[in-house]
Amino acid sequence: MLEMNDISRVYRTDLVETHALRGLSLSVEAGEFVAVTGPSGSGKTTFLNIAGLLETATSGSYMLDGKDVSKLSDNERSRIRNEKIGFIFQSFNLIPDLNIFDNVDVPLRYRGFNGNERRERIERALEQVGLASRMRHLPSQLSGGQQQRAAIARALAGDPAFLLADEPTGNLDSLMARQVMDLLEQINQNGTTIVMVTHDPELARRAHRNVQLLDGKIATSNPFTPQADVADIAEPAMQPVA
Amino acid sequence: MEIRPILSAMWRNRTGSVLVAVQIALTLAIVVNCMFMAKSRIEFIARPSGMDIENIITAQSLGFGSDYRHDETIDADLRALRALPGVIAVTPASGIPMSGSGSATGYKTSMDEDAPRETANYYRFDEHAEQALGVKIIEGRGFTELEVRRADDENYDRMPPQVIITKAYAERLFGDEPALGQLIYDGLNESAEVVGIIEHQYGAWVHWSSFDNVMWFPQRQEGPSIRYIIRAEPGQRDALIPVVEQTMQELNSSSRLVRNVRTMEETVATSYEGDFAIASTLIVAIILLFVITGLGIVGLASFTVRQRTKQIGTRRAIGARKRDIIRYFLTENWLMTTIGIVIGTVLTISLNYALATAFEIERLNYVYLVIGMGMLWLLGFVAVAEPARRASNVSPAVATRTV
Amino acid sequence: MFLYNLRLARLSLMKQPLLTGLMVLAIGVGVGACMTILTFVYSLTSDPIPEKSDQLFAVRLDSWGPDEPYDDRRPDEAPWQLTHADAMALLESPVPTRHAAMRKAVFTAVPENRDVAPFLTLSRMTGGAFFDMFNVPFLFGGTWDEDADRNAENVVVLSKETNDSLFGGENSVGREARFGDDVFRVVGVIDEWQPIVLYYDVNNGPNNDVEDVFMPYTIGDRREIDMSGNVNCWKDEQIDTYFDLMQSECVVTQFWAELENEAQVAEYQSWLDRYTEGQKALGRFERPTNNRLSTVTEYMKIREVAADEILVVMSIGVLFLAACMFNTIGIILARFIAKAPVIGLRRALGASKAAIFRQHLVEVGVVGLAGGILGLLLSMLGLAGVRAMLSDGDRAAHLNLELVLIAIVIAVSSAIIAGLYPTWRICQLAPAGYLKTQ
Repeated sequence: MLEMNDISRVYRTDLVETHALRGLSLSVEAGEFVAVTGPSGSGKTTFLNIAGLLETATSGSYMLDGKDVSKLSDNERSRIRNEKIGFIFQSFNLIPDLNIFDNVDVPLRYRGFNGNERRERIERALEQVGLASRMRHLPSQLSGGQQQRAAIARALAGDPAFLLADEPTGNLDSLMARQVMDLLEQINQNGTTIVMVTHDPELARRAHRNVQLLDGKIATSNPFTPQADVADIAEPAMQPVA
Repeated sequence: MEIRPILSAMWRNRTGSVLVAVQIALTLAIVVNCMFMAKSRIEFIARPSGMDIENIITAQSLGFGSDYRHDETIDADLRALRALPGVIAVTPASGIPMSGSGSATGYKTSMDEDAPRETANYYRFDEHAEQALGVKIIEGRGFTELEVRRADDENYDRMPPQVIITKAYAERLFGDEPALGQLIYDGLNESAEVVGIIEHQYGAWVHWSSFDNVMWFPQRQEGPSIRYIIRAEPGQRDALIPVVEQTMQELNSSSRLVRNVRTMEETVATSYEGDFAIASTLIVAIILLFVITGLGIVGLASFTVRQRTKQIGTRRAIGARKRDIIRYFLTENWLMTTIGIVIGTVLTISLNYALATAFEIERLNYVYLVIGMGMLWLLGFVAVAEPARRASNVSPAVATRTV
Repeated sequence: MFLYNLRLARLSLMKQPLLTGLMVLAIGVGVGACMTILTFVYSLTSDPIPEKSDQLFAVRLDSWGPDEPYDDRRPDEAPWQLTHADAMALLESPVPTRHAAMRKAVFTAVPENRDVAPFLTLSRMTGGAFFDMFNVPFLFGGTWDEDADRNAENVVVLSKETNDSLFGGENSVGREARFGDDVFRVVGVIDEWQPIVLYYDVNNGPNNDVEDVFMPYTIGDRREIDMSGNVNCWKDEQIDTYFDLMQSECVVTQFWAELENEAQVAEYQSWLDRYTEGQKALGRFERPTNNRLSTVTEYMKIREVAADEILVVMSIGVLFLAACMFNTIGIILARFIAKAPVIGLRRALGASKAAIFRQHLVEVGVVGLAGGILGLLLSMLGLAGVRAMLSDGDRAAHLNLELVLIAIVIAVSSAIIAGLYPTWRICQLAPAGYLKTQ
């Protein structure tokens, strides 16, 4: 599904040269739920931008869905973002002037679907996240959790090959965070690949696999862990704290 | 207030700053050139005419049909018009000065075939012309009643033996020599003596370069058209207009038309209307441009303030006083205005040069450049004052808020 | 997608109504100022008779005196008018399809109805060919025939207004009308006709009204009808009477010829040159041969119908629009840069640069359209102002459909030009830069 090979990214300004990624290699299988973690400055954001085709790597190759996407033009990358990738952001990034329906509609517009197809997809996606009744609301009229669910609906509406989530619960309280995570898990179980960037080990544990970044490289990559185990380990571990 | 950090902030947002500067520069170039051209026009319109234009009424009588008697009609008209209360003087006239229509021909100072000629705009008036026009004869005398030839005079087609000319024309004809008593000659070498010199009077065509080359003949204009120049006592003019018209109509309305009884002011305004229209257009352009540029600065500054709310809050949080914030914005705007004015100065001079080359426009008087600069500095200051005040009201608490 | 972009534009513009209003105002004022002046210049320079302006020629012969040119400023130009004698001679030429000499005169119209006061009429004294040459529309009747020209018959064509005054607007063809002491037979009444520029006689004032009556040029000599209009002389001659003037070297008459093709033009040109050669033998035409044929538009250009000062104001107007545009560019740029996060998001969600570009171009286009409409309203106001200031501005200072379209095109294209740079700038933004929480 997603295969990065020896990816490096260097930012240059007049004064300094920053190596955000140094030879990162990562492969994600279809249907996987991968968490990418790491402390601030470890290269999470750069990884996310490159994985989401928002930026290009300085060197290295990136295969997405069997296709080399590291050398594509801006236009082709826009199309792949539109068709294959669903973004979920920490701050939701809903467009405040548009209602929920229209927000979900945004990527579909660029896809060039006709009106009927768009409406069907929007309604289906909103139903899936439980917001069908709120589609005429403006983002500001919804709670944070609802906003993030709307953003997830927007990511899903185009049937992407994988979802790219950036701290999806970072702006939410714990109850809402749990709901959103439940939703993501459910989406994953329905077959959508998810790559989630987070600094929260707690969240990371709910993924199938945990990739830890440090100084622009993969420090550890935990192998596939059954979810039940994560929960088993997590629950007792939390109890002394609670 | 240190300018360096402001400059570096402007450098980072250089496109925006350049746009404001270019706008100021264009505004300066347009405003200064417009101001200068408008001023030239206004001065042109306001040139002293030498005549008492404000108190003069003019009228035309146009005879028709075989019953029309030209001299008799004029005699009767003059008698009646001169008897009207409030009338100072009336002269029959071949044309109205500054009306845009008249006659001109060249005269010389000797019989010599090749002597240079100087063109004069000539009028046929009677002995009341000086009083009727309100001009001043500074040397010699006006015409006498006996000198004035009627249209039925057998010598009407000959050049009359006396003429009165303006001082300007006298100087162009005779240079430094005294003109009074000299002879001038027409193309057929008929001559006339200069019996009087008018201090100053304009002729027919306001745009003619020799506008003040004017000559009077003691004659009545031939028929069937005759005009009257009627000078009213101050304050009587407007009331006299209908009276003049009615008086003339009552005297004869069967074999002549009475036309164009109106103030000379109106006639002169019509001659200058193109200049007036251009001056007004330029002034409107100046005002509009100031408003647009001012609003543009207000708009952009308010927008910048809104965008920088957090930054302003941070400054406040770390101890900037309200007036530091105000001063920051004023200084920033002053810098942009000044850069614009510097570019604008070059632009103003180039524009004036281009216009002067293409269209025979006067070269710029730099006083107007200085005035324009001052106005733009003031405009920039006024326009940014309110946004700066709003910026100073940003709460320091904004700094800690995440939006 | 266009409708979608239109909806986005509306949302975006409504969000900051003051800035939007400012942009619309800036473009509107710029376009309004420009259009006011452009309308004026356009009226003064546009072809008044496009269907045949290249077949109508103002004819001029350089009959001026040997010592100096007619116009010191432009020594190559021949005098604007012909002498009466030359005009009469040119009327004998067999070459042109049509031709007409013309001048002005003043008559007092005396209505049959004694209750209506006599009134002044301006007359164009010309040939019967005048009406067909200049495509003058007739309401009743038509022109007079060649015999009327040859025999200097008392025939007259009335303007609609004169016919209204004299005959209450009835079909007056065949009736008699009194002008001064003479009685004329009405042969035609023309419909309303008023070229913006009185191009057939710019010499006596391009802003004048079309004359009230038209009469055969030839009756001038029979009735000794005085000149009205410009007379220019160079020679020292004793001129007392009508015939003194008409036989002098003074130029008094305008002359037009209709020539259908280049061959005919060439033939006429050589006919004219032969004529002046013949006159040179008689001691006239002492200057180098300079016989000019100018088409309507050429002649309007030569006569500088659009004065320098109008062109100065025009260039100021264009700069004015430029200043307004820079104003607008600044505001658009600031707004677009503030929208960077949303644009970054749209890019992340798959919008191509082109899609973003189109979206924002639609937005500035909407601003341009609104500015154009405001500009039109303002230019109507401006033109009303011009009309109030100029007594003859009434004709020139009017918008027509073509000018309205030009205004809209200017407004929208200047808004789009103003928007191009900001739009290009935001398209260059890296999509990733604005997605993280601030």
